[in-house]
Amino acid sequence: MLKMTHLSKVYRTEVVETYALRDFNINVQEGEFVAVTGPSGSGKTTFLTIAGLLETFTGGEYHLDSVEVSRLDDNARSKIRNEKIGFIFQAFNLIPDLNVFDNVEVPLRYRGMKSAERKQRIMDALERVGLASRAKHYPAELSGGQQQRVAIARALAGSPRLLLADEPTGNLDTQMARGVMELLEEIHREGATIVMVTHDPELAARAQRNVHIIDGQVVDLAEDPRFHSQHTVRSPA
Amino acid sequence: MFAYYFQLGLRSLRRNPMLTALMIMAIGFGVAASMTTYSVFRATSNNPIPQKSSVLFAPQIDNWGPEDNDKGEPPSAMTYTDAMALIRAHKAKRQTALYPIAISVVPDDANKLPVMENSYAVYGDAFTMFDIPFLYGGGWTSNEDDAHAAVAVISRALNEKLFNGANSVGRALNIDGHSYKITGVMDTWDPQPLFFDPVNTSGFDDPTQVFIPFTRAIDLNLLTAGNNNCNKSAGDGYEAWLHSECVWIEFWAELPDRAAADEYKQFLTGYAAEQQRSGRFRWAPNVRLSDVMTWMDVQKVVPPESKISLLVALGFLLICLVNTVGLLLAKFMRRSSEIGVRRALGAPRREIYAQFLMESATIGLVGGVLGLVLTGVGVLCIGLVFEPDIARLARLDVKLVLLTLMVAIGATVLAAFYPTWRAAQVQPAWQLKSN
Amino acid sequence: MIQQIKPILVALKRHKAGTVLIALQIALTLAIVCNALFIIEQRVNRLQRPTGVTESDLLAVQSRFVGATDADTPPLIRSDVLALRQVPGVADAYATNSFPLRGGGWSTGIKTDPDARKSITQTTQYFVDEHALATLGSKLVEGRNFNAGEVSVTDPKAMKTAPQILITKALGEKLFPKQSALGKVVYLGDDKSPATVIGVLDRLQVPWSGTWADNFQEYAVLQPYQLSGNFTVYLIRAKPGQLAAITKAVPETLFKVNHMRVITGKRGIRSFEKVRADAYRSDRGMAILMSVVCLVLLAITAAGIVGLTSFWVGQRRKQIGVRRALGATRGDILGYFMTENLLIGAVGVVIGAGLAIGMNLWLVSHFEMARLSLLYVLAGIVLLLILGQGAVLAPALRAARVSPVEATRSA
Repeated sequence: MLKMTHLSKVYRTEVVETYALRDFNINVQEGEFVAVTGPSGSGKTTFLTIAGLLETFTGGEYHLDSVEVSRLDDNARSKIRNEKIGFIFQAFNLIPDLNVFDNVEVPLRYRGMKSAERKQRIMDALERVGLASRAKHYPAELSGGQQQRVAIARALAGSPRLLLADEPTGNLDTQMARGVMELLEEIHREGATIVMVTHDPELAARAQRNVHIIDGQVVDLAEDPRFHSQHTVRSPA
Repeated sequence: MFAYYFQLGLRSLRRNPMLTALMIMAIGFGVAASMTTYSVFRATSNNPIPQKSSVLFAPQIDNWGPEDNDKGEPPSAMTYTDAMALIRAHKAKRQTALYPIAISVVPDDANKLPVMENSYAVYGDAFTMFDIPFLYGGGWTSNEDDAHAAVAVISRALNEKLFNGANSVGRALNIDGHSYKITGVMDTWDPQPLFFDPVNTSGFDDPTQVFIPFTRAIDLNLLTAGNNNCNKSAGDGYEAWLHSECVWIEFWAELPDRAAADEYKQFLTGYAAEQQRSGRFRWAPNVRLSDVMTWMDVQKVVPPESKISLLVALGFLLICLVNTVGLLLAKFMRRSSEIGVRRALGAPRREIYAQFLMESATIGLVGGVLGLVLTGVGVLCIGLVFEPDIARLARLDVKLVLLTLMVAIGATVLAAFYPTWRAAQVQPAWQLKSN
Repeated sequence: MIQQIKPILVALKRHKAGTVLIALQIALTLAIVCNALFIIEQRVNRLQRPTGVTESDLLAVQSRFVGATDADTPPLIRSDVLALRQVPGVADAYATNSFPLRGGGWSTGIKTDPDARKSITQTTQYFVDEHALATLGSKLVEGRNFNAGEVSVTDPKAMKTAPQILITKALGEKLFPKQSALGKVVYLGDDKSPATVIGVLDRLQVPWSGTWADNFQEYAVLQPYQLSGNFTVYLIRAKPGQLAAITKAVPETLFKVNHMRVITGKRGIRSFEKVRADAYRSDRGMAILMSVVCLVLLAITAAGIVGLTSFWVGQRRKQIGVRRALGATRGDILGYFMTENLLIGAVGVVIGAGLAIGMNLWLVSHFEMARLSLLYVLAGIVLLLILGQGAVLAPALRAARVSPVEATRSA
């Protein structure tokens, strides 16, 4: 589903070059639930933005659904984002001017879907996250957990094959975080591939597989002593 | 998507209401100022006889010479001597000399007071040349011109006043105590500008009510009611005046094509050369031949006030647009997070363009509606700046309404290009990080 | 304030578009406002030119006899004038060809040497009788008025200059610089008949208000003639407060004397107030129009500055918070935005001054306008800089109120 080989991402300013990712390799199979962990500044988010085709990369290859994406133009990349990928952001990123219904509608609009089908999908998605009754509310009228559920509904409405989540529970209290996590697991069980960036080990533990990033590279858990020590400190298991 | 973006545009008006109100006011005022002044400019620069403006020509002959003429340009009017020479030569398909006359029509009913009407002395060709429409009868022929006949053509309005609108062809008309036979009643004819005599009217006057033969007017020793310009004393009496170098006659020639016009110009040059040989002109031939629109231009029919105010208004609109560019930039960039999210959710750049240009068009539309109201007020106030003869021509018609809305929307969309381009440059990735 | 300039310039580099837009708007506004103010001043100056006539209680009537030959008209005019002087409420009246601001009249060259080929200047000619000065309310500064015996009837198509004439002081000074014109001899047009100046009028304007007559605005010659011909103008002075009454009585009297006449159209009967309004309609209108344009323009420019600066303040809240946390006072923040606006304004007005002068040069070459006085550009510059500072004050104060706590909020 998602395969990066020898991928690198360099940020250049006038004076320095900074590698955000360096010789980065990862392979996520269809239907996997992968948690990506790592310390602040390790490159987790850069990985996610490249995976979501939000940013381009400097070197290497990235195959998404067997398509090499580095040569695609902005329009083609937009189309893939729209049809294959669903995003869940830490800050929810709902559009404050639009009500819940209209927010969920946004990606469907860009797909040129008929109004009736749009409506059906939106209501189904809101039903899933338990917010069908709040369709006419504006984001500012909802709690953080509800907003994140709307964001998930927005991601689900387009039935994406790949769901990318960036600290989806980062802005939520424990109670709400649990609810959101259960929702993600449910979606995974229904067949979606999920890649989730988090620094919460508890959350990471609930994924099928953990990938650890340090200094812009994927680190094999078994071989890296630093990881072991960190792991033993943080995880009660 | 069009309707969707229009709806988003309307919704966005309510966001940052101050910023939106500023923009709408800027556009409204800018467009209204331009449209109001344009309505005057349009009226004054109008082609009054589009179907014939390229075949009707006003000749000029320099009978004053370099010492007295206006920076080398021949006088705007002609002497009786030259006008008669052109009439006699009859080199044009149709031709007329004309001048405004001050005459009064005396009603048959002795209890009614005489009325003074805008009147011209012309040749019979004028009616065909100027496409003057007739309700009853028609113009007179060259026979009446040659016979110096007492005939007249009157306007529909005068016919209404004197004959209650009945067909008055063949009936008598008392002008200053002389009897004229009516040959025709014109239908409403009010060309603006008054192209056949911008020299005496500055281009704008009420419709002409009476035409009588030029030859007859001369017989009656009628002076011009317009300008009479002399470079030296005319001498004593009417006869001396006719043969003086005073200019007071307008001349028109109908020349069906370019070749005929060229030929006529040569004829004029030849005539002037002959006058030089005979000793009347002590300078080389200096002649002009202008078609209607050129003549309007030469005679500066569009008042400088109209041009200056249109110019200032366009500058005003430009400033309003620069202002709108800035405000739109602020409005759009405040929403960079929304743009980032839309981009992340799969909106290609062109959809961002479409959304924000449509939003601008919506602002432009609302600004246009405000502009329309202000233009209406402006058109009502035109009488403050311009002569009533001109002010009456400025109207808020369907064309102006559409133009106002189009300019408002077009200008706003134009102003929105840069801010929209900036909006479309917003990277989807930026906003992934917590905000 | 000075030490703030460098960081401001650095910050402005990051807001190029907004900076350029504000500067451009200030520049264009300056260009238009300077020229508009200049047009206003020119037009207002025209409006204020004195006519030399006591304008209140004065009525002008234009009449045309119907069916009368030119030779018939002198006695008709005479009986009109005599009848008008008898109308209750009328102080005095006379018949003439024209009067100041009428719009149409006679202009002729005038010279002091009958054999000179060129005249010294153009002048207008008014044909009047001995009642003219009293009716107009014009003052003689030298010499005397015509007496009844000097006034005669003449045919305008065969006219010789009268042996005695009155001229205006301005014309006298033009023809005879630094000497009294009284008693001097002048010649009109090609006519070699000498005319002796028997009186000098303080002032009397020509009939034309247009720019083409600007260079002989106060050059007028009065000849003691009653012209034959069926078109006549009557000027009538009402006794104080009687203008409305005689406006009604005068046409009734004229028709009673002779009903074979037309009192012509829109300009048939006008108070002098109306005459002035008609003559200066476009001048007054342009002045009003330009004033409105200036005001709206300044308002819109101010609004634009408020809008964009507010946006910048909004964008930089965190930055401002950090500065405040690091010890900047409210005054420092206020000063920062005021200085920033002053810098942008300075660039704007420099460009704008160039544009203003360019626009004026273009207008001069196309519309017979005068050169823009640099005083106007200076006034415009000061006006716009003050406007900018005023407009930026509200958003700058808002910026100054940003709490240092903002620094701790995530960006």
